[in-house]
Amino acid sequence: MYELLADGLVNIVQAKYLLPLFLGTLAGIIGGALPGVTITMTIIVVLPFTFGLDPLQGLAAMTGVYVGGSAGGLVTAVLLGLPGTPSAIATTFDGHPMAKKGEPGRALWIGVWASFFGGLLGGLFLIGATDPLAKFALQFGPWEFFSLFMLALSMVAGLAEASLLKGLIAGAMGLIVTVLGNDPVMGQERLTLGIPFLRGGIDFLPVLIGVFAFAQIMGEIERRGAHSLATEVNRSVKLTVSHAKVIWEVLSRPFQLLWCSFIGVLIGVLPAIGGSAASMMAYDQAKKFSRRPEAFGTGTPEGIVASESSNNANVGGSLVTIMAFGIPGDAVTAVMLGALTIHGIQSGPLFISQNTQLAYGIFAAYLLAHPIMVLILALGARWMLRAVTVPKAALFPIVLVLCVIGAYALNNTMANVYVLLAFGVLGYLMVKFGFPLAPFILGVILGDQIEINLVRSIMTDSDPWLFLTRPISGALLGASALSMAFAFWQHRRMQRKTPAAIGGGTDF
Amino acid sequence: MLAASLFLFVLTLELKPNPLVPIGPGFYPRLVLGLTAVLAAALVAFDFFGKRKARTEDKANYSAVVLHFAVFGVYVVALPWLGFRIATLAYIAAANALFEPAKSAKGWLRVAAIAIIATVVVYFLFERYLSVLLPRGRWTDL
Repeated sequence: MYELLADGLVNIVQAKYLLPLFLGTLAGIIGGALPGVTITMTIIVVLPFTFGLDPLQGLAAMTGVYVGGSAGGLVTAVLLGLPGTPSAIATTFDGHPMAKKGEPGRALWIGVWASFFGGLLGGLFLIGATDPLAKFALQFGPWEFFSLFMLALSMVAGLAEASLLKGLIAGAMGLIVTVLGNDPVMGQERLTLGIPFLRGGIDFLPVLIGVFAFAQIMGEIERRGAHSLATEVNRSVKLTVSHAKVIWEVLSRPFQLLWCSFIGVLIGVLPAIGGSAASMMAYDQAKKFSRRPEAFGTGTPEGIVASESSNNANVGGSLVTIMAFGIPGDAVTAVMLGALTIHGIQSGPLFISQNTQLAYGIFAAYLLAHPIMVLILALGARWMLRAVTVPKAALFPIVLVLCVIGAYALNNTMANVYVLLAFGVLGYLMVKFGFPLAPFILGVILGDQIEINLVRSIMTDSDPWLFLTRPISGALLGASALSMAFAFWQHRRMQRKTPAAIGGGTDF
Repeated sequence: MLAASLFLFVLTLELKPNPLVPIGPGFYPRLVLGLTAVLAAALVAFDFFGKRKARTEDKANYSAVVLHFAVFGVYVVALPWLGFRIATLAYIAAANALFEPAKSAKGWLRVAAIAIIATVVVYFLFERYLSVLLPRGRWTDL
């Protein structure tokens, strides 16, 4: 394993991989720092640039976006009190008060170094756990895969948003998208409604791009109005610190760093519960374990370490799920899954054994993205604040043009652009009517695989009880039922407590 | 959602079974559509019989949203006719100008400059360096 990782590192430091990794990390940091532009939107924008690259170049760029974006959100969270990404919300609780007390540099760099160490701890898990988990998944038959996908879908539907019923309907809507067009087992035409384009089915990438880009951009326009899309900032802050001192401040809390990174990894492994949930949960845990819980919220370094270490470790956990099982942990890994598909690479348990060089290249890119992220922030944290002043009125149309290119270039057909627009409208309406996007997208991504494994299992043995009597399949379906029951109980409890508290969302 | 799933469900009844796959191509869609119809019906029932929540004051700017969807829709329709270069130039300029109307000649110049630079950079980057072919216009051949 170490030999393969060393090979991966030697590979990734070549200029042809290092440049996309650097540019991806830079794009991620800028996208993460811009309030209103999430990591998902950044990776959607970066996607079309990877079409002409080889798979490792493209995935290195995307890994850079993911790592950079997870750290980039802290720049504006600390210095402006505006979290650039949802995963940086908890960073504002202590980062911004510390900056306001006259220590903006210390606040920023505690966050950066906590992201760095948290991310590397997540990387250890990613490298150590992916291969054994993939080998475990190789024992799966169609029954187990069907049950695993059902577990992922039910968890996302149950935990994602306010209404359990709406979560389930959103997941079912995603599955409906995949039943339009030829059936994936025998290729027989079905439900094409007389539209020739539907014969080939609907690609999930234009759906994902449309749903997320429009839901986010239109949401921004709707909230801010058309004429106030620019932000004013003060760029004259001093950010110089003694890095040795700051690193010691982070490393002198080994238990907190490890525990919060562990929470981040664990949340990352679960589909669709992303960095924002991880950082909030880690922040809460750090407060509970702290000797001075009353200091939280006033500018304590512990709060920043908790939030930032967990949200970067979360990236490692998310990558494990997609590389071992082929299930995207969030929207960013869903786009990465799409990039793999474009290059004809199948993700899932066989991915690491069939594409060893690529898999270890991704591990190496992940590890290397962290020092690159520190370097970029060291050189240009102040410039990131300048990025915030980019007028959104000019930025958003350009982002949508890049979305069009991303959809069009998949098959060089306008039909995908029409799909982008149609699902953009649908995504916006879903958000307006309180339907979560995460189960919908996961349904679109997993729909074909769910059908293939269901049909295969029934063709192999028509006994439906096998789904329950095969130990792993039964356990997965049991976990799925438990997750639904838990979600039902949680929603009831929250409804009783305070109806207004229900809401929030996932990072999918 | 209820109507759409029921409509598609009816269509699945017309699907012919495949001799090689005993459960046929309609089995899974019927399962999904049936489940969706049941869930949608439950949502309708809950909405109808459940407690009505007080509506909070909505200050959202829907006209800007509709406007942007409309402009983007025109762009998407125009793309195959005008080609990427002309349609994108016009779209970026129009969207930018509609969102943040320029107040002076300098402002209009900035809108035009952003549209031209963005279109040229994106076009050359994708066509020349990333080997991505962008739509050509049937009317303009550009």
